[in-house]
Amino acid sequence: MKSHSHDHDHTHHHPHAEIIEVAKPGYYEIMETAVRELLFEKNLITPNEIRRQIEVLDSRTPALGAGVVAHAWVDPAFKARLLADGRKGCEELGISFYDDTQLIVLENTKHVHNLIVCTLCSCYPRPVLGLPPDWYKLKPFRARAIYEPRAVLAEFGTYIPDDVEIRVSDSTAIVRYLVLPMRPAGTDAFTEEQLAALVTRDAMIGVVPALSVTAEPAP
Amino acid sequence: MSQTEDLLKRLPNDIGGMTAEPIVQVEHMLEPWEKRCHALADVLDFHKILNTEEKRRGVEGLGSEMIGKLSYYERWIAAFANIFFQKGILTPTELAMKMEEVAARLPETPADACANS
Repeated sequence: MKSHSHDHDHTHHHPHAEIIEVAKPGYYEIMETAVRELLFEKNLITPNEIRRQIEVLDSRTPALGAGVVAHAWVDPAFKARLLADGRKGCEELGISFYDDTQLIVLENTKHVHNLIVCTLCSCYPRPVLGLPPDWYKLKPFRARAIYEPRAVLAEFGTYIPDDVEIRVSDSTAIVRYLVLPMRPAGTDAFTEEQLAALVTRDAMIGVVPALSVTAEPAP
Repeated sequence: MSQTEDLLKRLPNDIGGMTAEPIVQVEHMLEPWEKRCHALADVLDFHKILNTEEKRRGVEGLGSEMIGKLSYYERWIAAFANIFFQKGILTPTELAMKMEEVAARLPETPADACANS
Protein backbone atom coordinates (compact mmCIF):
# COMPACT_ATOMS: atom_id res chain seq x y z
CA MET A 1 0.00 0.00 0.00
CA LYS A 2 1.29 3.32 -0.95
CA SER A 3 1.66 5.57 2.02
CA HIS A 4 0.76 9.19 1.79
CA SER A 5 1.93 11.82 4.19
CA HIS A 6 -0.75 14.09 5.59
CA ASP A 7 1.78 16.42 7.10
CA HIS A 8 0.96 19.91 5.99
CA ASP A 9 4.07 21.98 5.85
CA HIS A 10 2.16 25.18 5.04
CA THR A 11 4.36 25.93 2.07
CA HIS A 12 1.69 24.83 -0.37
CA HIS A 13 -1.58 26.63 -0.86
CA HIS A 14 -4.58 24.45 -1.46
CA PRO A 15 -7.93 25.59 -0.11
CA HIS A 16 -8.43 24.49 3.47
CA ALA A 17 -11.73 22.84 2.66
CA GLU A 18 -9.63 20.04 1.19
CA ILE A 19 -8.15 19.03 4.54
CA ILE A 20 -9.25 15.47 4.96
CA GLU A 21 -11.69 14.49 7.66
CA VAL A 22 -10.60 11.13 9.02
CA ALA A 23 -13.47 10.32 11.37
CA LYS A 24 -17.21 10.68 11.49
CA PRO A 25 -17.92 14.22 12.63
CA GLY A 26 -18.84 14.40 16.29
CA TYR A 27 -21.65 16.32 17.96
CA TYR A 28 -19.57 19.42 18.63
CA GLU A 29 -18.08 19.47 15.17
CA ILE A 30 -21.62 19.40 13.77
CA MET A 31 -22.52 22.20 16.16
CA GLU A 32 -19.58 24.28 14.96
CA THR A 33 -20.59 23.83 11.32
CA ALA A 34 -24.23 24.64 12.12
CA VAL A 35 -23.41 27.79 14.11
CA ARG A 36 -21.03 29.03 11.45
CA GLU A 37 -23.49 28.42 8.59
CA LEU A 38 -26.34 30.12 10.44
CA LEU A 39 -24.11 33.17 10.96
CA PHE A 40 -23.31 33.14 7.22
CA GLU A 41 -27.02 32.97 6.39
CA LYS A 42 -27.67 35.96 8.64
CA ASN A 43 -24.86 37.87 6.90
CA LEU A 44 -23.07 38.47 10.19
CA ILE A 45 -19.83 36.92 8.92
CA THR A 46 -18.63 35.52 5.58
CA PRO A 47 -16.96 32.25 4.57
CA ASN A 48 -14.08 34.26 3.16
CA GLU A 49 -13.40 35.83 6.56
CA ILE A 50 -13.13 32.40 8.16
CA ARG A 51 -10.89 31.16 5.37
CA ARG A 52 -8.69 34.23 5.68
CA GLN A 53 -8.42 33.92 9.49
CA ILE A 54 -7.38 30.27 9.16
CA GLU A 55 -4.57 31.49 6.92
CA VAL A 56 -3.62 34.07 9.53
CA LEU A 57 -3.61 31.45 12.29
CA ASP A 58 -1.45 29.17 10.14
CA SER A 59 1.01 31.99 9.56
CA ARG A 60 1.64 32.52 13.28
CA THR A 61 4.35 30.30 14.72
CA PRO A 62 7.03 30.66 17.43
CA ALA A 63 9.49 31.50 14.63
CA LEU A 64 8.01 35.03 14.65
CA GLY A 65 8.71 35.47 18.36
CA ALA A 66 12.17 33.97 17.93
CA GLY A 67 12.93 36.60 15.30
CA VAL A 68 11.84 39.35 17.70
CA VAL A 69 14.04 37.96 20.50
CA ALA A 70 17.08 37.55 18.25
CA HIS A 71 16.68 41.10 16.95
CA ALA A 72 16.47 42.39 20.53
CA TRP A 73 19.70 40.53 21.38
CA VAL A 74 21.65 42.21 18.58
CA ASP A 75 20.07 45.66 18.62
CA PRO A 76 20.00 47.36 22.07
CA ALA A 77 17.98 50.33 20.80
CA PHE A 78 15.32 47.96 19.45
CA LYS A 79 15.35 46.02 22.70
CA ALA A 80 14.66 49.22 24.63
CA ARG A 81 11.72 50.03 22.37
CA LEU A 82 10.43 46.45 22.63
CA LEU A 83 10.55 46.50 26.42
CA ALA A 84 8.81 49.88 26.44
CA ASP A 85 5.97 48.68 24.17
CA GLY A 86 5.97 45.05 23.10
CA ARG A 87 3.26 45.41 20.50
CA LYS A 88 4.88 48.39 18.78
CA GLY A 89 8.23 46.59 18.82
CA CYS A 90 6.75 43.55 17.09
CA GLU A 91 4.86 45.72 14.62
CA GLU A 92 8.14 47.43 13.80
CA LEU A 93 9.33 44.02 12.56
CA GLY A 94 6.21 43.59 10.46
CA ILE A 95 4.25 41.36 12.84
CA SER A 96 0.64 42.53 12.78
CA PHE A 97 -1.66 42.09 15.77
CA TYR A 98 -4.93 40.68 14.57
CA ASP A 99 -6.52 41.02 18.00
CA ASP A 100 -7.04 43.89 20.43
CA THR A 101 -4.29 42.81 22.78
CA GLN A 102 -1.33 44.64 24.24
CA LEU A 103 1.99 42.86 24.67
CA ILE A 104 4.41 43.26 27.54
CA VAL A 105 7.87 41.78 26.94
CA LEU A 106 9.58 40.54 30.11
CA GLU A 107 13.37 40.40 30.09
CA ASN A 108 15.19 37.60 31.84
CA THR A 109 18.44 38.63 33.54
CA LYS A 110 20.99 37.10 35.89
CA HIS A 111 18.72 38.24 38.71
CA VAL A 112 15.19 37.69 37.37
CA HIS A 113 13.52 34.78 35.61
CA ASN A 114 10.07 35.34 34.09
CA LEU A 115 7.29 32.84 33.55
CA ILE A 116 3.94 33.49 31.87
CA VAL A 117 0.63 31.81 32.59
CA CYS A 118 -3.11 32.41 32.17
CA THR A 119 -4.72 31.16 35.35
CA LEU A 120 -8.29 31.91 34.19
CA CYS A 121 -8.17 30.33 30.77
CA SER A 122 -5.73 30.35 27.86
CA CYS A 123 -4.65 33.90 27.05
CA TYR A 124 -1.37 33.77 25.15
CA PRO A 125 0.60 36.05 22.79
CA ARG A 126 -0.94 34.40 19.72
CA PRO A 127 0.08 37.01 17.13
CA VAL A 128 3.77 36.28 17.84
CA LEU A 129 3.74 32.64 19.02
CA GLY A 130 0.71 31.05 17.38
CA LEU A 131 -1.61 28.88 19.44
CA PRO A 132 -0.55 27.67 22.91
CA PRO A 133 0.35 24.05 23.71
CA ASP A 134 -2.36 22.04 25.44
CA TRP A 135 -0.46 21.86 28.76
CA TYR A 136 -0.58 25.67 28.93
CA LYS A 137 -4.39 25.47 28.90
CA LEU A 138 -4.74 22.61 31.39
CA LYS A 139 -5.28 22.79 35.13
CA PRO A 140 -1.88 21.69 36.51
CA PHE A 141 0.07 24.52 34.85
CA ARG A 142 -2.63 27.16 35.38
CA ALA A 143 -3.17 26.23 39.04
CA ARG A 144 0.40 25.76 40.16
CA ALA A 145 2.54 28.22 38.19
CA ILE A 146 1.64 31.15 40.42
CA TYR A 147 2.40 29.58 43.80
CA GLU A 148 5.13 27.05 43.17
CA PRO A 149 6.88 28.21 40.00
CA ARG A 150 10.18 26.57 40.98
CA ALA A 151 8.50 23.18 41.26
CA VAL A 152 6.71 23.75 37.95
CA LEU A 153 9.94 24.77 36.23
CA ALA A 154 11.71 21.72 37.66
CA GLU A 155 9.13 19.55 35.87
CA PHE A 156 10.39 21.10 32.64
CA GLY A 157 13.98 20.35 33.70
CA THR A 158 14.64 23.99 34.55
CA TYR A 159 16.35 24.70 37.86
CA ILE A 160 16.55 28.36 38.84
CA PRO A 161 19.10 29.23 41.56
CA ASP A 162 17.60 30.43 44.84
CA ASP A 163 19.19 33.85 44.49
CA VAL A 164 17.33 34.46 41.22
CA GLU A 165 13.90 36.00 41.63
CA ILE A 166 11.08 34.32 39.73
CA ARG A 167 8.32 36.58 38.48
CA VAL A 168 5.11 35.00 37.23
CA SER A 169 2.88 37.15 35.02
CA ASP A 170 -0.80 36.24 34.72
CA SER A 171 -2.22 37.08 31.30
CA THR A 172 -5.61 38.71 30.71
CA ALA A 173 -8.00 39.10 27.79
CA ILE A 174 -6.26 42.31 26.75
CA VAL A 175 -2.72 42.10 28.18
CA ARG A 176 -0.41 39.31 27.03
CA TYR A 177 3.21 38.60 27.87
CA LEU A 178 6.30 37.30 26.07
CA VAL A 179 9.51 36.29 27.81
CA LEU A 180 12.78 37.65 26.40
CA PRO A 181 15.21 34.87 27.40
CA MET A 182 18.86 35.53 28.18
CA ARG A 183 21.21 35.29 25.21
CA PRO A 184 23.19 32.05 25.54
CA ALA A 185 26.92 32.26 26.20
CA GLY A 186 29.27 31.66 23.31
CA THR A 187 27.04 33.28 20.69
CA ASP A 188 28.96 36.51 20.13
CA ALA A 189 29.78 35.60 16.54
CA PHE A 190 26.30 34.32 15.71
CA THR A 191 24.19 35.91 13.02
CA GLU A 192 20.68 37.04 13.89
CA GLU A 193 19.32 34.03 12.03
CA GLN A 194 21.56 31.62 13.99
CA LEU A 195 20.45 33.27 17.22
CA ALA A 196 16.77 32.95 16.31
CA ALA A 197 17.25 29.20 15.90
CA LEU A 198 18.14 29.02 19.62
CA VAL A 199 14.86 30.61 20.73
CA THR A 200 12.08 28.11 21.28
CA ARG A 201 8.40 28.55 22.06
CA ASP A 202 8.88 27.23 25.59
CA ALA A 203 11.75 29.65 26.20
CA MET A 204 9.39 32.51 25.35
CA ILE A 205 6.80 31.12 27.79
CA GLY A 206 9.62 30.98 30.33
CA VAL A 207 9.60 27.28 31.20
CA VAL A 208 13.07 26.70 29.72
CA PRO A 209 16.06 28.88 28.81
CA ALA A 210 17.08 29.49 25.20
CA LEU A 211 19.00 26.59 23.68
CA SER A 212 22.61 26.39 24.70
CA VAL A 213 25.22 26.17 21.98
CA THR A 214 27.43 23.84 23.99
CA ALA A 215 24.80 21.54 25.48
CA GLU A 216 24.54 19.20 22.52
CA PRO A 217 27.93 18.43 21.01
CA ALA A 218 27.84 16.85 17.58
CA PRO A 219 27.92 13.04 17.78
CA MET B 1 -14.83 28.36 55.42
CA SER B 2 -18.00 26.52 54.50
CA GLN B 3 -18.10 24.50 51.32
CA THR B 4 -20.69 26.73 49.69
CA GLU B 5 -18.77 29.87 50.58
CA ASP B 6 -15.79 28.42 48.79
CA LEU B 7 -17.90 27.73 45.69
CA LEU B 8 -19.06 31.34 45.69
CA LYS B 9 -15.54 32.71 45.94
CA ARG B 10 -14.07 30.44 43.30
CA LEU B 11 -15.88 30.17 40.00
CA PRO B 12 -14.86 27.24 37.79
CA ASN B 13 -12.18 29.12 35.78
CA ASP B 14 -10.54 30.59 38.89
CA ILE B 15 -8.02 27.84 39.56
CA GLY B 16 -4.83 29.84 40.07
CA GLY B 17 -3.29 28.83 43.39
CA MET B 18 -5.07 25.52 43.75
CA THR B 19 -3.17 22.30 44.28
CA ALA B 20 -2.98 20.15 41.17
CA GLU B 21 -1.27 17.18 39.56
CA PRO B 22 2.20 17.31 38.00
CA ILE B 23 2.28 18.86 34.54
CA VAL B 24 2.03 16.46 31.64
CA GLN B 25 3.46 18.14 28.55
CA VAL B 26 0.63 17.23 26.20
CA GLU B 27 -0.05 18.92 22.88
CA HIS B 28 -1.92 18.09 19.70
CA MET B 29 -2.29 19.53 16.23
CA LEU B 30 -5.68 21.16 16.03
CA GLU B 31 -8.29 19.19 14.15
CA PRO B 32 -9.75 21.05 11.18
CA TRP B 33 -13.00 21.78 13.01
CA GLU B 34 -11.06 23.07 16.03
CA LYS B 35 -9.12 25.46 13.84
CA ARG B 36 -12.35 26.61 12.19
CA CYS B 37 -13.82 27.15 15.65
CA HIS B 38 -10.82 29.28 16.61
CA ALA B 39 -11.07 31.28 13.38
CA LEU B 40 -14.80 31.72 14.03
CA ALA B 41 -14.09 33.19 17.46
CA ASP B 42 -11.53 35.61 15.99
CA VAL B 43 -13.86 36.74 13.20
CA LEU B 44 -16.70 37.26 15.69
CA ASP B 45 -14.30 39.37 17.76
CA PHE B 46 -13.39 41.49 14.69
CA HIS B 47 -17.09 42.20 14.18
CA LYS B 48 -17.56 43.07 17.88
CA ILE B 49 -20.13 40.28 18.14
CA LEU B 50 -18.20 38.34 20.79
CA ASN B 51 -15.10 39.40 22.72
CA THR B 52 -12.54 37.39 24.66
CA GLU B 53 -14.01 38.17 28.07
CA GLU B 54 -17.52 37.19 26.96
CA LYS B 55 -16.04 33.96 25.63
CA ARG B 56 -14.29 33.21 28.90
CA ARG B 57 -17.41 34.03 30.89
CA GLY B 58 -19.50 31.93 28.51
CA VAL B 59 -17.27 28.94 29.20
CA GLU B 60 -17.50 29.58 32.93
CA GLY B 61 -21.28 29.69 32.57
CA LEU B 62 -21.26 26.08 31.37
CA GLY B 63 -20.54 25.08 34.96
CA SER B 64 -17.79 22.98 36.43
CA GLU B 65 -19.14 19.59 35.30
CA MET B 66 -19.17 20.52 31.61
CA ILE B 67 -15.88 22.39 31.95
CA GLY B 68 -14.38 19.19 33.32
CA LYS B 69 -15.84 16.85 30.71
CA LEU B 70 -15.73 18.81 27.44
CA SER B 71 -12.56 19.44 25.48
CA TYR B 72 -11.31 22.99 24.95
CA TYR B 73 -13.04 23.73 21.65
CA GLU B 74 -16.14 21.75 22.64
CA ARG B 75 -16.49 24.21 25.52
CA TRP B 76 -16.00 27.11 23.16
CA ILE B 77 -18.68 26.16 20.64
CA ALA B 78 -21.15 25.25 23.40
CA ALA B 79 -20.50 28.62 25.04
CA PHE B 80 -20.88 30.48 21.72
CA ALA B 81 -24.26 28.85 21.13
CA ASN B 82 -25.48 29.89 24.59
CA ILE B 83 -24.20 33.44 24.12
CA PHE B 84 -25.98 33.72 20.76
CA PHE B 85 -29.21 32.52 22.34
CA GLN B 86 -28.84 35.17 25.05
CA LYS B 87 -28.07 37.89 22.50
CA GLY B 88 -31.00 36.86 20.34
CA ILE B 89 -28.69 36.11 17.39
CA LEU B 90 -29.80 32.47 17.22
CA THR B 91 -32.65 30.47 18.70
CA PRO B 92 -32.24 26.97 20.12
CA THR B 93 -34.76 25.63 17.58
CA GLU B 94 -32.89 27.18 14.70
CA LEU B 95 -29.63 25.60 15.84
CA ALA B 96 -31.21 22.21 16.45
CA MET B 97 -32.71 22.19 12.95
CA LYS B 98 -29.44 23.29 11.34
CA MET B 99 -27.52 20.62 13.24
CA GLU B 100 -29.92 17.96 11.95
CA GLU B 101 -29.44 19.24 8.44
CA VAL B 102 -25.64 19.26 8.79
CA ALA B 103 -25.57 15.78 10.33
CA ALA B 104 -27.72 14.39 7.50
CA ARG B 105 -25.48 16.00 4.90
CA LEU B 106 -22.10 14.89 6.27
CA PRO B 107 -21.01 11.39 5.27
CA GLU B 108 -21.02 8.57 7.81
CA THR B 109 -17.62 7.33 6.74
CA PRO B 110 -15.89 10.04 4.77
CA ALA B 111 -13.70 8.81 1.97
CA ASP B 112 -10.05 9.70 2.27
CA ALA B 113 -9.48 11.53 -0.98
CA CYS B 114 -5.72 11.14 -0.64
CA ALA B 115 -5.78 7.36 -0.24
CA ASN B 116 -4.40 5.24 -3.06
CA SER B 117 -3.80 8.23 -5.22
